[in-house]
Amino acid sequence: MSKLLEATGVVAGYGDGPAILNGADLSVHPGKVHCIIGPNGAGKSTLLKAIVGMLKVREGDVRYKGESLKGLRPDQILRKGICFVPQERALFPKMTVRENLRMGGYSITDDSYLNNRIGEIEEQFPILKERHSQHAGTLSGGQQQILSMARTMILKPEIVMLDEPSLGLAPKIVREVFEVMQIMAKEGITIILVEQNALMGLKYSDWGVVLDLGRSLFDGPAQEILEDPRIQELYLGGRKDKP
Amino acid sequence: MAELATDEILAARERYNQSIAIAVNKKRSLWFPYLVLALLLVLPALQLIGNFNYVIHLTLFTACYVVMASGWNILGGFTGYISLGHNVFFAIGGYFAGMIFARLDISTIIIAPLAGLVAAVIGYCIGLVTLRVRGPSFIISSLALVMIFRIVFENWEFIGGAAGLALPVNDLPVQWAKLPYYYAFIVMAAIAVWVSYKIKHSKFGLGLRAISKDEIKAESSGINTRLYKVLAFAVSAFFVGMAGAVWGEYLTYIRPNIFLIILISVNMVLMCVLGGKGTIAGPVIGAILIIAFNELFVATLGASEINVLATGLIMMLTLIFFPLGIVGTLAKHGKLPQFLNWD
Amino acid sequence: MTLLIQTLILGIALGGVYALMGSGLSLIFGVMRIVNLAHPSLIMIGAYVAYWPFRLSNIEPMFMLPVAAIILACIGAILYRLVFEREARSAKYSEMTVLLTFALAMVVEGMLGTAFTNTQRITSPDYATEAFFLADIFIPKGQLYASIISIIIISALALFLKYSRLGYAIRATTENREAAELLGVNVNRVGLISFAIGLALAGAAGALVSFIFSFFPSKHWEWIVILMSLVVLGGMGSILGTVIGAFLLSAVAALVGTYFGATWSTLTFFIALFVVLLVRPQGLFGEKPELA
Ligand SMILES: Nc1ncnc2c1ncn2[C@@H]1O[C@H](COP(=O)(O)OP(=O)(O)O)[C@@H](O)[C@H]1O
Ligand SMILES: [Mg+2]
Repeated sequence: MSKLLEATGVVAGYGDGPAILNGADLSVHPGKVHCIIGPNGAGKSTLLKAIVGMLKVREGDVRYKGESLKGLRPDQILRKGICFVPQERALFPKMTVRENLRMGGYSITDDSYLNNRIGEIEEQFPILKERHSQHAGTLSGGQQQILSMARTMILKPEIVMLDEPSLGLAPKIVREVFEVMQIMAKEGITIILVEQNALMGLKYSDWGVVLDLGRSLFDGPAQEILEDPRIQELYLGGRKDKP
Repeated sequence: MAELATDEILAARERYNQSIAIAVNKKRSLWFPYLVLALLLVLPALQLIGNFNYVIHLTLFTACYVVMASGWNILGGFTGYISLGHNVFFAIGGYFAGMIFARLDISTIIIAPLAGLVAAVIGYCIGLVTLRVRGPSFIISSLALVMIFRIVFENWEFIGGAAGLALPVNDLPVQWAKLPYYYAFIVMAAIAVWVSYKIKHSKFGLGLRAISKDEIKAESSGINTRLYKVLAFAVSAFFVGMAGAVWGEYLTYIRPNIFLIILISVNMVLMCVLGGKGTIAGPVIGAILIIAFNELFVATLGASEINVLATGLIMMLTLIFFPLGIVGTLAKHGKLPQFLNWD
Repeated sequence: MTLLIQTLILGIALGGVYALMGSGLSLIFGVMRIVNLAHPSLIMIGAYVAYWPFRLSNIEPMFMLPVAAIILACIGAILYRLVFEREARSAKYSEMTVLLTFALAMVVEGMLGTAFTNTQRITSPDYATEAFFLADIFIPKGQLYASIISIIIISALALFLKYSRLGYAIRATTENREAAELLGVNVNRVGLISFAIGLALAGAAGALVSFIFSFFPSKHWEWIVILMSLVVLGGMGSILGTVIGAFLLSAVAALVGTYFGATWSTLTFFIALFVVLLVRPQGLFGEKPELA
């Protein structure tokens, strides 16, 4: 299978601090939903941040469509078609919902095209249209998550990376969020999902990756991972003393 | 893909977490500071063979700043609360002891501990209020404090207002006139350094450093951060106040524009930053270097404006290139000579 | 009654200038999270830029306003590149930048002091000593003009922030730097531009200040606390808040000055700063403290 994005042997950390990732790998297949699982503090978020250029890749490489992303700034990587929705959702709470969508299309300089895209997204997610003049900070958690996901679609990106989109949401809302993710996947967007709730994440995914100790320990079709007894024991809650 | 052995992974996880924790250099040597202290105690013997008043003055001046910078370090270095207003306690100490000296003729050297205590109590009360905010808020509130004190001191007739008060001059022969103050400052400096050391290695000091690292975590791990911070503030005010007490008598006058100028605060901060905030030797090294620099600039260039410029420049360059200061930077690269490791 | 109205008018006439002095400080804090303690010393540079041409060849200080703004903007861009850009990665960013700007203030003070000595200066165009009279009440022309110009500049800034693409980027960076970066904003460039704009505001303020307050290099220590008080009162990072804070405090300070004596008028700002920081660090209009 050809690879859209490939990280190999990535070493990265925060500032001058110790390496959090020491040799993480990730292979991304076009059009698929990938789920990265692993315990808290394994470095999942760190890997995503390194890919989008928020952290320096100290060693190893990240290649996208054959070219290296190393050393590029986040805004340059975004223009290549990779969007990242961080764990904290990254909205502008004192800007309106529509202003937030507009910021999503910040890298589009053609105003009328941008307005069209905003219109299309608002059609697709009526709740955003309904709340367009409300401050983003006043939306519910689920709505904020939907806004931050929908916002990435304005750019028609190739890859969207979602860091724990279900964090802090009620189970019913989590399902809604995953449905939004499926809409994105149907439009042909390749998705990289990080999920604490590994069972749920893998169920919605095609491909799974286990990240622990700053390295990638395993990857394979989501179904296989779900059924692997060793992974069940370590990461899917099969073993009681799991940290 | 690697083999997955569960226990191995759990053990590896343990090792991984440990490798992230930074190792500390535990080697230190304490003979050096004792040697320096001994030399300083016999230094005035030089007066027997000639006029070394200038040397005495410079050493005394440096010692005064060692007291203040070490005091500042307890709050700014250990606890991470940067105060730009510690000259307020210098003034409180100076005025308290100076007023008693002027009226009751009790030497400020005797009053100094009491003056320190007064500064500490006032520091405690101010800390109760200002330590409720963190980071830039705290820094700015400390600046505001200086301004408020300056206006109050300049308009308070009882303590001489803006003109200040002249204090009696002691009647020792010129040759020995500086010695009481000299010994007072050397002893205070030794005590300040020793107390910093003791605090750093106590449970209290551990708590302070935890606050500096992450106050919320420190609090949730059961440290009474509020009390710890305020106590650190009081202790640091104590030393600065003590230094101020004797400084007034040494100069023979007390005036707001001696104690409450920003340069005094800056020097305390800069000495710690340059030497290494949060280390024991840092403030001492910083004080020596800054006083030497100041003397050099005043001697060669004269103008105090250039002194301000140079001080600012040194501070900027240190912050940009050696944010950990001399001791901190050397220690980080494992190049700290043992005799400078007093921690 | 006349005295009260007169006092309030004098206070309000100064408010606009304070607002301009504080708005750059607020903008830089909003975008960069830098508390620029050097701001007033940089305003001082603007004041000298207006002072010397007037003193030497009688050039109108208001003509020097754009010149001062441009000079300061360039200084800002250089400072940002040399000093502040590299700090963005520092772990103790806010503490580091406060100390750096503090040191910078000393450097500027030292340079100005060396070049021009600590003599008090003031630019004295004719209007600086004239006034309009409304019945018993007078409005000093200098302060009135300066306030009007300040308000025009601040309004232009507000429109720019609200409607331009760069303004969007600046606002977004103010609210959430990381998110703006992820959406394609080159936050470093936005930082540079905001820093330059912030200092341009300082330069412009300096030109106006030159004929309103007498100044000398070490006076900036007093100004910093005055500016911080109104910026903190209005909520750090909010330009509108700064304007409101400026008018409010300036009016109160004028009242205190009239009824208790001039010394205590400045004390108003200092005590206000102290009290606001401790009682309501988020300012009058903020929801949560920006300055933690
Ligand atoms: N901003 C940061 N600065 C320093 N260390 C961090 C930062 N964020 C996370 N870390 C550290 O990086 C490690 C991995 O964190 P992260 O990638 O967020 O884990 P995950 O997303 O897998 O739970 C943790 O040990 C954490 O303490
Ligand atoms: Mg995470």
